[in-house]
Amino acid sequence: MSQPSDIRDRGFLLFLALFAGLYVALIVGMLIADATYTTPDALLAALESEEIRYAAKLSFTSSTITALLSVWFAIPIGYLLSRTSFPGKALVDGILDIPIVLPPMVIGLSLLILFQTSFGQAVEGLVPVTYRIPSVILAQFAVACAFAVRTMRVTFDQLPERPEKVALTLGATRAQAFWRVTLPQAGGGALSAGLLAWARALGEFGPILVFSGATRMKTEVLPSTVWLELSTGNLEAAVAVSLLMVLAAITVLVTARALGVRRGW
Amino acid sequence: MPTRSRLGRTNGVALSIVGSLVLLVALIWTLQDDRDDSASAGHLTLYCAAGLKPPVESAAREYEERYGVHVDITYGGSGTLLSSLKVSNIGDLYLAADDSYSDLAREEGIAREVFQLATMRPVVGVSAGNPKGIATISDLLGPGVRLGLANPDAAAVGRAVRTAFTESGQWDTVSKAAVVMKPTVMDLANDLNLGSIDAGLVWDSTVNQFTGLESVHLPELEGSARSVTICVLESSERPTAALRFCRYLSSRDAGLPHFERMGYAAAEGDRWEEKPELLLFCGGMLNAAIDDTVTAFEEREGLSVTRVYNGCGLLVSQMNAGASPDAYFSCDQTFLDLVSERFHPGTTVSSNRMVILVRKGNPSGITELADLCGPGLKIGLAHPEKSAIGVLTRDLFEEAGLTERLEASGNIVLDSATGDFLVNQMRTGSLDAVIVYRSNAAAALGDVDLVALTAPGAQATQPFAIAHATNHPRTLARLLRAFTQTDSRARFDALGFGWEQPLPAESE
Repeated sequence: MSQPSDIRDRGFLLFLALFAGLYVALIVGMLIADATYTTPDALLAALESEEIRYAAKLSFTSSTITALLSVWFAIPIGYLLSRTSFPGKALVDGILDIPIVLPPMVIGLSLLILFQTSFGQAVEGLVPVTYRIPSVILAQFAVACAFAVRTMRVTFDQLPERPEKVALTLGATRAQAFWRVTLPQAGGGALSAGLLAWARALGEFGPILVFSGATRMKTEVLPSTVWLELSTGNLEAAVAVSLLMVLAAITVLVTARALGVRRGW
Repeated sequence: MPTRSRLGRTNGVALSIVGSLVLLVALIWTLQDDRDDSASAGHLTLYCAAGLKPPVESAAREYEERYGVHVDITYGGSGTLLSSLKVSNIGDLYLAADDSYSDLAREEGIAREVFQLATMRPVVGVSAGNPKGIATISDLLGPGVRLGLANPDAAAVGRAVRTAFTESGQWDTVSKAAVVMKPTVMDLANDLNLGSIDAGLVWDSTVNQFTGLESVHLPELEGSARSVTICVLESSERPTAALRFCRYLSSRDAGLPHFERMGYAAAEGDRWEEKPELLLFCGGMLNAAIDDTVTAFEEREGLSVTRVYNGCGLLVSQMNAGASPDAYFSCDQTFLDLVSERFHPGTTVSSNRMVILVRKGNPSGITELADLCGPGLKIGLAHPEKSAIGVLTRDLFEEAGLTERLEASGNIVLDSATGDFLVNQMRTGSLDAVIVYRSNAAAALGDVDLVALTAPGAQATQPFAIAHATNHPRTLARLLRAFTQTDSRARFDALGFGWEQPLPAESE
């Protein structure tokens, strides 16, 4: 970043900082309000509760699985959308936006209905899904993957196509060009896509509530815990769990980004 | 040929892919559910209205400690859960915050038995000490009061309040005065507790769960109480275990105290017994009509019902001598009237016409009551003190003015306590005619002929009544409901009984 040499540049940066500052202040303000509303006892009680520890484990594990799966799917989809054209591409593009646009509850309901069809029942015969842990991951994946796809597509869009073309003229196949030239450059994008999917999955609630239920020690994730505590009028516990979730999420996101930066992403 | 650095990066890609695959497998492995929760007997699935979590969870935990049955509880809004259940069709139990949902579940064929747990009344919730001095509806409408309502389309309390205020003509004013409508009653209570509203129309039980809140009762809302209910789902593969948990939860000395402790007004419940043993007195004529229904009820509920079938006069004498049945299914209302102080008012289930049975081909040419007084007949009648049919027969002759003629004829060669005994005598050929119920004759129609009696008094009605003294009034109400269902009716119909229950009972 260059030093602002001019007083007008400084004014401009201050103008930018004003917006940034206001938004950051809003977020920090909410967290401070939360922190003053709850008590150390409520935080401690939340940490000691076996149910909440289970919900935290399930939340973090399922979100990580979802993030990995999302990146695996997002890389080929993003690459196809960015580098190829095919009939119906606009339609496919639109379909991939549906999980982002639809109200989360509708995603859950649609999954629930899908698994009552003969196809769904056949899958249930192999692996029970509805109201079980796989339904949590599937509900998270259905939404989070769409965000990862958007990120990967922008990543490939922004990578210059030239090196890939050069590789092709040098006799590489498309697959070789993808594996050896394009993909190694997309690491930063893949990390961003994974983290976005992870954060999205961690906060996912609507579809899980409908498709997985909020069964204690089984399909309860942290957002369900917050909602359950709110439903029984236990605001202190709801806030305590929210704060723990925020702390854990920030730690993971900041650490992952730092690791990415160190690798040159 | 790739350069050295590119090769390194490619290896990095391969490493990332393999690494993420290993991580994925490892994570999935840690999520393996170690509990076998399939169809084991010691396991139930309950879909529970989220607001009811505190009492239900503590009662379920106690039940697991006592009986080793784990109840897996899934929480959600009553309506949301019902929608999911309609689609998924799995699970054993559904606990709704409001009986309108359990009624709906029953109408839609999702739920079978329904148990009442607690009642709730809409009140005005305010901060402790009532700082705004709210006592009437007009106090809620003042400019200094921020009023919150629950959305009448989403929350049961909103619906109850709208119905009550629409009746009193105040809904428009009240709904316009509200600064906010919230989707659930707990959202509204949380707002009250936070101080973002001054008054909210919520359930009394909701207010009782917050130390910082108190209730103001409005006379306009007094008639709007609703019930918390739990239903056994049609989809349950373990209905007996599910019913046993429902009985536990709805028992006055087991599950209901958990609700009382959390501020609910508990419903009237049975006394808890793991396997209740009920005593049912029934008129002899009902034996074939009800025995299969009672057996099915015993099996489904996991309890035992001892049936004592006998002439109703004998049953009444036994009760007067100290017998104390939990319920009495009487041959005729007149016998229930004799012991009415022991029972709640009866519910008439069926009726039974009286008929004259004659020898095959009716060789004596009997077509009406008076023909029984003709010369040279051997007839059998039921005993006028020991049984309902005997009383009705005596009254029938009296009303027709035939009592003296009958006695003078000397035709009566047999009186018996039960109609079945008379039918058997008839079949052996030792009698020319007997007066019995249509239902008594059903089994013998191949051997004898039947002459209908058309007098209005030639009929008995069968009421089912529950004893004041029983510890299991709710369970017996479910038994009554079982008697009024379609399969039970088919048994009554097949035996020639009339049906006095045009519709299945609404709720127990």
